[in-house]
Amino acid sequence: MLEIKNLHVEVEGKQILNGIDLDVKSGEMHAIMGLNGSGKSTLSNAITGRENYNVTKGDIVYKNDSIIEMEPDQRALAGIFMSFQYPTVIPGVNNTYFLRAAVNAKRKYNGQKEYDAASFLKFVKSKLKEVDMDSKYLKRAVNEGFSGGEKKRNEMLQLLCLEPELAIMDETDSGLDIDALKIISRGINNYKDKNRSFLVITHYQRLLKYIEPDVVHVLIDGKIIKSGGKELALELEEKGYGWLEQ
Amino acid sequence: MNLNDYQTEFNKLIAQQSFSSDSHPQRNNTFSKFLDSGIPTKKWEAWRHTDLSFLNKNNFRVSRPDDSQVDSIDISNYKIANTYTIIIINGYFIEGSSVLPKELKVSTYTDKNNWNPKNKKENPFELLNASLSDSNIAIVIEPNASIEKPIHILFLCTGKDNLMINPQITMDISRSSSATIIEQYVSDTSSFFQNTSVFASIEKNASLNHIRIHSNSDETANISGLHVTQSDDSNYNYFQLVDGGALQRSDIYTDLEGKNATCSLSGLTLLDKKQHSATYITSDHIMPQCESSQNFKSVLNGHSSGVFNGRTIVREDSQKTNSKQSNKNLLLSDQAIMNSNPQLEIYADDVKCAHGSTTGALDNEALFYMQSRGINRKDSISLLIRGFVSELINDIKSEDLKNHLFTRFDRWLLNNNQ
Repeated sequence: MLEIKNLHVEVEGKQILNGIDLDVKSGEMHAIMGLNGSGKSTLSNAITGRENYNVTKGDIVYKNDSIIEMEPDQRALAGIFMSFQYPTVIPGVNNTYFLRAAVNAKRKYNGQKEYDAASFLKFVKSKLKEVDMDSKYLKRAVNEGFSGGEKKRNEMLQLLCLEPELAIMDETDSGLDIDALKIISRGINNYKDKNRSFLVITHYQRLLKYIEPDVVHVLIDGKIIKSGGKELALELEEKGYGWLEQ
Repeated sequence: MNLNDYQTEFNKLIAQQSFSSDSHPQRNNTFSKFLDSGIPTKKWEAWRHTDLSFLNKNNFRVSRPDDSQVDSIDISNYKIANTYTIIIINGYFIEGSSVLPKELKVSTYTDKNNWNPKNKKENPFELLNASLSDSNIAIVIEPNASIEKPIHILFLCTGKDNLMINPQITMDISRSSSATIIEQYVSDTSSFFQNTSVFASIEKNASLNHIRIHSNSDETANISGLHVTQSDDSNYNYFQLVDGGALQRSDIYTDLEGKNATCSLSGLTLLDKKQHSATYITSDHIMPQCESSQNFKSVLNGHSSGVFNGRTIVREDSQKTNSKQSNKNLLLSDQAIMNSNPQLEIYADDVKCAHGSTTGALDNEALFYMQSRGINRKDSISLLIRGFVSELINDIKSEDLKNHLFTRFDRWLLNNNQ
């Protein structure tokens, strides 16, 4: 599904990633753990194609094609989704209108008939239940006036509507209360299947109580210095990151 | 056009005999005042950011009755569904809506309105308008009348000559009545100078929705003065759309002369190429317990430039005033320029006043967010600009008018997001 080969990424002239190798197969869930500044978010931004995240060496291959020259929207249409650490507020743009534009872009790409306003509303309401969201959030501007937890649920709602094959959850757990954390985890667990992969980026082990990664990677100074099973996350919880840095 | 050219045109108008000679003394008197003050320059504080070179380097002539004999313009393109329509072509009244309700009186060529002592003349263009005024319209809404259908006054300019049109509109919204009046200025590709003065008097407990659409050709100068006086418990809602003209300048004065009156002013300016648009507002809280708001937005592309100068005065006795000013501007090009200047002058101590102004480019974070959901860059830009402007258009009550404004906006967007 996703193969990252010797990835070097520079942001505004500063080298952040120094040779990352990662192989996420269909149906797998990988967790990337690391301290602030280790390059976790740079990795997710490089995969989704954010401006100014320049790949200086190496490659990102998704479904056997290199994607580093692709526009962010082309990557999204190909099936990559990122749940943002800090979802963007877009004043004036209605949440439903935005979501329908996104879903219809995907349907058009897939050669499916686009939703009209009424059929889309029916579609989205069925998804709202899965993330315990009130339909009033559909009437607001995108993420405007949403609390931290509501924003993350809105991200999850977008994920469920867009049905990506590779979902990157960037610090999804940060700032969430325990109820919201459970809802998001339930969403992830329900969504995961043999054709869908997750890359979960997190600072803490907290989220991993509710979801079970197949592989845990530890990122320090822009390099993966250790990979292992779920037990690695527990070890990090106990010992911190210090023992790995030597 | 210099003062001598204006003098020549003034002489022509006086010689035309199409206007009552009774008004000549006042016209002469006002025109001398115009000559005394001269044309504003950038040295005048209130005209510092307004580039009048388009007017100064082009010549315009006063219109003649035969200028209204045109067939090249298709009026149906500009009609708005479900309105009473009054059409003025090249400065001459052509066609009234077939049936007007009896509570609504519309008269044209009412020279006497020109010389209403209440009609303030704040700047040289208003003096010029009063001296040269041609197409005059007086609208009177009877007391207690509620006119549901908007009254659409359509000013069309067409032809090969550079015409100078000086419409004057008086709106008298009598006690406890309500109406919606749309002023629309359109022209084909020719060059024009439209210099308009509007006077609205909103009496006790009356309500006026006033919409102005400036959609002239890129070769048009649109200068307009708007004076509104409000009595106790009255309500005034104003919205302007500027999406045409080489040069556009609006001077808006609202006087809250009665208690507990509400005045809400808003506007959307869409500019590209070398267009210039300036909106100057003075909201004067003369009496207590009034509410006023100014909410103006601009989207500027190309080498265009804009000015927002909103001034709110709260006089010493105007306690319990509530006023808001907001000006937000979106720059789509590095060459576009916006001057934003919200000002508050408060002399009372128990008031609530707020003002704010932002000017910036499209939000790259928001664009990336949208693209990361599969929406291409062009569509993302359209969504963002539409989101920016829709708040203002959505506030318009009439659905037909809202559709008309969104159609105009969509057309602009199509040309400016390629």
